[in-house]
Amino acid sequence: MAHFDHGAAALLPLAVAVPMLGASVMLALGRHVSRLVRDLFAIAIAAGVTGLSGYFLAVASSGRIVNWVATWTPLGHRSVGIVLEVDPMGAGIALLAAGLVTCALIFSLRYLESDTGHFHLLVLCFLAGMEGFALTGDLFDLFVFLELMGASAYALTAHNIEDPQALQGGLNFGIINSLGAYVSLMGIGLLYAKTGVLQLPLLGAKLAGHRPGPLVIAAFVLIFTGLLVKSGVVPFHFWLADAHAVAPAPVCMLFSAVMDPLGVYAAFRVYWTVFSPTIAPAHARVAFLSLGVATAVIGAVMCCAQRHIKRLLAYSTIAHVGLFFCALGLLREDGTAAAALYAAGHAGIKGALFLLCGMLLDRYGNVDELHLFGKGRGSPHLGLLFGLCGFALAGLPPFGLALGKALAEKAAIDQHLYWMVALFVLVSALTGGAVLRVTARVFLGLGDRPKGDAEYRAVGTERPPAQRLQALPAAALSAIGVLIAGTLALGVLPGARDAAERAAAAFIDRSGYLANALGHAGHQLAIAPSAPNWDLRGVLLGIASALLAAGFAAASCYGRRILVHVPALRLGTRAVLRALHRVHSGHIGDYVAWLMAGCAILAGLIGLPLR
Amino acid sequence: MSRPVRYVVFCLGVVGLAILLAPAVAHLPAFGSTFHPYRTLAVAAAVAHRTANVVSAINFDQRGLDTFGEESIFLASVAGAALLLRPGEHETERRPLGHARMLDATRLLGYVLLPLSTILGLDLISHGNVTPGGGFQGGVVLGTGLHLLYVAGSYDALEKMRPTTLFEWGEAIGAGSYGALGVAGLLASGAFLANFVPLGHFGALFSGGTVPLLNIAVGIEVASGGAILLSHFLRQAMFTEPAGGGRRASGERDE
Repeated sequence: MAHFDHGAAALLPLAVAVPMLGASVMLALGRHVSRLVRDLFAIAIAAGVTGLSGYFLAVASSGRIVNWVATWTPLGHRSVGIVLEVDPMGAGIALLAAGLVTCALIFSLRYLESDTGHFHLLVLCFLAGMEGFALTGDLFDLFVFLELMGASAYALTAHNIEDPQALQGGLNFGIINSLGAYVSLMGIGLLYAKTGVLQLPLLGAKLAGHRPGPLVIAAFVLIFTGLLVKSGVVPFHFWLADAHAVAPAPVCMLFSAVMDPLGVYAAFRVYWTVFSPTIAPAHARVAFLSLGVATAVIGAVMCCAQRHIKRLLAYSTIAHVGLFFCALGLLREDGTAAAALYAAGHAGIKGALFLLCGMLLDRYGNVDELHLFGKGRGSPHLGLLFGLCGFALAGLPPFGLALGKALAEKAAIDQHLYWMVALFVLVSALTGGAVLRVTARVFLGLGDRPKGDAEYRAVGTERPPAQRLQALPAAALSAIGVLIAGTLALGVLPGARDAAERAAAAFIDRSGYLANALGHAGHQLAIAPSAPNWDLRGVLLGIASALLAAGFAAASCYGRRILVHVPALRLGTRAVLRALHRVHSGHIGDYVAWLMAGCAILAGLIGLPLR
Repeated sequence: MSRPVRYVVFCLGVVGLAILLAPAVAHLPAFGSTFHPYRTLAVAAAVAHRTANVVSAINFDQRGLDTFGEESIFLASVAGAALLLRPGEHETERRPLGHARMLDATRLLGYVLLPLSTILGLDLISHGNVTPGGGFQGGVVLGTGLHLLYVAGSYDALEKMRPTTLFEWGEAIGAGSYGALGVAGLLASGAFLANFVPLGHFGALFSGGTVPLLNIAVGIEVASGGAILLSHFLRQAMFTEPAGGGRRASGERDE
């Protein structure tokens, strides 16, 4: 993987520059043109960046694209400049980000009222941040784009200023993410003080071969803290549900489908390129798997315990981030490939679910599951799509999400980690089951009518009847259709698995990353013989998860009839849920306390085994 | 969580962090040592591009993409503040009539300092490539110095000197110029943000190639954006009320 395409390399910074130039034009002209012109302009910019990222992916699949910005190429092993270095994984997630922003803008055609263009401007800034974050090969540059994503995302979260909960959600998001980013910056400072370089490949070269001393361990913990906050890994995850519950649906979709996975991507990018030669995979694995399991379990349980549908989907995202962490945390090529497919499939399905939520809000003025009980009978199309997404989320083949799950389970079995297979099946069944439960209650009116307290309302979601839509807008439906079809294509197109495996091989190949950055040819990567996407075991496990999800949904619809007869189980469940709810308090002080504790836990997980 | 539980969790975290950080800090290179690998490279690179202010050379030439990201963060933050501080459905704007009396000494000081701070801001921006300062610093001085007009007693005078639309254009042009200079580098010499302008003489006003141009772009953006940001805050704090009078509703919870 070594021949360079200078054309593509020169164009790399445009993925950031084009949306930012678009944002400047929007600022100058936004309030002087009509809403439609603003919409079309922003969609054109996002579509252009999508095309550019697709081109990068095509070029990167035959060799990394390297750009030392403004031609500050290294002399020996040092350079003062910034390197953008793109392999198929980086280009793939950049493509995902741009494609989803395009979908979100198309969906927003009718969705958000905005008379100044500031919404479009912020979405374009958010896109620029995600593109830079995905494409960069420099640790400080990564931090800058993390902050750009953050600055735009905080304001987008609180877009609905009439609702105090929206402001609170945006504030929690802003405080915790900024705190995480500053902790990361301290870690970057430590590494810089020790090595005098900031570029990921050169940092890795400096640390290679040394025993990990206290400074390296501290830098690892601090840098990861900011990235884990962005990913929503337990116990750094508290802001996520607050933000997702209140942000406009298309913004939620971008958060869940790509911003949170971008945090996971950056964590493992930094691990493989910088830390893997000093903190060996055998040591780091325990830490990653522990975080992944805790995140998956807590996310899945909290997901089932929600009645605010957007909050439910947010916890389902946390659960899936946990599963991605487990697959990537195997620290092997097969697990990495599985996680890539899993995350791409999850992006389509979770994106579609959040947009469906937005349509639910448009039609019924609410996204509270109990409030909407049986009210969705008049929208069979929405119900059908909701149910389909529920099964896909649970891992029903042949969706791309299920393919990723099947490959992750295969990777776990190859390592004799059978508990992990159970975790994947159970967590995806629980999160898929929660969505199916919503479908059954809202669209079919199945089960016992829940005795919700009438006082409760899913705060921040009320919409007066005058603003509710009667018909489903075609643009919004087409955005949802594209997302579901894309996920389906990922699972059925031959070669998806091979492409993911080649991307994973390049992602974990540190020496090739370094060699290409320095302008040398990397060694030839062994290409595994091409394999079919699916095998029988994966399909059966997928079907089992989907059936289990349907079972969970049925049990939670009719569960009270059974639970009444088993007081021990009822009281136990109630105690666990009460404790979890108490921890997820919405109090920003609690979140800060957990962030600090999380830092210490991560330090223990990484540091203690190395002593 | 109850307050004691929160404190216990927080303190355990802080103790863990202290145990992590103390030995790490002890392993940092000693203060005052001669080990400065990046400085050695960066100073040489700055001199090669005839930029006397090495910090500006790093910010706008060697790591110009970071600064592009940072000025984008500024753009997004100002737009975000505008989005969040827009007048809500239940808010009205009420202008008090008449002027508050200010001490003559305060007004005199305001009117004397206004031109001085403007000149200082312009000087910081235009000499950013040769002496300490630059677009960010000078822009902040310009954008905030303008508010001496308000300190000197007249919000109306401030509003006359600060037409919001014009300043939004300024911010857009400043931010856009940075990206446009980057693209110009790509077109002129094949690399985004390449230093494609003649470098001039070391220490001269126009030296360092693109560095002074990028400084001016950032200066325009930060001065305009800063003024707009403050105008939103001032309007929110001074004039905005919930419809029907009474205290402002922002920050109140409805639970």
